[in-house]
Amino acid sequence: MSPVIDAHGHVGAWADFFVPEPDADWLLATNAAIGIDAVGVSHLVAVGRDTVAGNELALAEAQRHPDRIGVWLVADPHRRDAAAVLRDQLDRPGVWGLKLHPDTHLCAATDPRYEPLLELAAAAGVPVLSHGQTHSPYSDPGDLAELARRHLDVPLLLGHAGLWPEGFDRAARLAAERPNLYLEICGSRLTTRWLERMVATAGADRVLFGTDACFLDPRPGLGKVRLARLSEADRSLVLGGNAVRLLGPRLPTALQETS
Amino acid sequence: MRIFDAHRLLGPVPGDDVPSADVAGLLAELDHLGVDGAAVTPSEGLYGDPAYQQPAPAADERLVSVPVILPAVAGAGWPDDPGVVVAHAPAMVRACPVRHRFALTGPVALRWWHELAAARIPVALDAGETGLDRVHALAAAVPGLRILVLSPGYRSLRELAELVAEHPGVHVETGTLVAAGAIEWLARQAGAHRLVFGTGAPVWDDAGPRFQLDHLRLPAADVELIAAGSFDALTARVTT
Repeated sequence: MSPVIDAHGHVGAWADFFVPEPDADWLLATNAAIGIDAVGVSHLVAVGRDTVAGNELALAEAQRHPDRIGVWLVADPHRRDAAAVLRDQLDRPGVWGLKLHPDTHLCAATDPRYEPLLELAAAAGVPVLSHGQTHSPYSDPGDLAELARRHLDVPLLLGHAGLWPEGFDRAARLAAERPNLYLEICGSRLTTRWLERMVATAGADRVLFGTDACFLDPRPGLGKVRLARLSEADRSLVLGGNAVRLLGPRLPTALQETS
Repeated sequence: MRIFDAHRLLGPVPGDDVPSADVAGLLAELDHLGVDGAAVTPSEGLYGDPAYQQPAPAADERLVSVPVILPAVAGAGWPDDPGVVVAHAPAMVRACPVRHRFALTGPVALRWWHELAAARIPVALDAGETGLDRVHALAAAVPGLRILVLSPGYRSLRELAELVAEHPGVHVETGTLVAAGAIEWLARQAGAHRLVFGTGAPVWDDAGPRFQLDHLRLPAADVELIAAGSFDALTARVTT
């Protein structure tokens, strides 16, 4: 049985609304109680305002909890030195890959400024997790599918599977058509009904469990997968099997041994 | 532990193909999640105009019907008079002031709310549709009215905590309180007796909230209140 890996997490507070439990300690205690073995996080300081400082905060959390926390390094397309800074950080322990947030950075995923960052991910052999939001001018699933087409050797995780229910079916079809495009499923609008449809359309090997903790509570996120009407083989792939395959040696050692 | 979902729709939903389009499908969903019963609003009442369409109540002992009322001038709403609501004594009613375009604290509606308050019939209002400011205005205008805030979401916890602190009659449905630790935080702020388990399914997810109920980091007595006890107290006709 594969471990349970949360492919989309965060730590830290956020300006737009109150998060009661923004810290890693609460997150890991909750994860331990419900059976999530590891979570890949980007720090919300990095997502919201300062990628260099925020990524260092996330790396520090990974250093404190090397078997439980991995890091998605936030890539800021506006920083001219982004690729150079990230190149050094990618070699640090615990790094899983790069995180794009085109909506926060007000820069479309297909913008040329992202190209060196995708090339960096390709050279390092790491996946890229991007915020995905149907109808967004920055991160529509169609744009992320185009990004996946341009970078065939980069596994691209379409965050939130497009976020809005009206876009879930299209996102699943795009993933089915594009071998390196994956659906990461966190979000408050996902239902088990839509999760089951995504697995049916894109295939269980193309859907990854995520929770968006600490924006969101990991318990409802896990509950959707645990209580979905999926075969146990498919559920295992979604919960961790696919992450194990995509992250390989970048996973915490204990989970590599489990896998 | 008895588990009661205080917020469900029964019937077809625009833009989706849902298993709870009929009673049998809805009960199968409850069984799958281990939920004992549910308060259900007929989707026809929500998405249609109650002035012209009054669906039959859900006919099953596990289901409690929550009709959509429309307080308006005679002939433009349903029913014509709040006394009809009081006479039927539903466990709870639902109102949609934005969707159905009536003034929540206008003179007509206020007369209805005072009558419902006197009869201890609570009203459910969707937070996303109504807005917490309107809920606050109603609770301030009719302090005796018991209100269940549906689908408050995870981004308005500060406003929500202030709302329940200010108005003892306001209760909150928990299904969309999905920010990290939100339910425990609000339980500490307001007390578990103000939190009511519900999901908003099938529009909103039901499996996640159901799973979370089993893993809340709260005393067992508080979890039992959230799971069903708070709804029972909210809809009780006599003061306990």
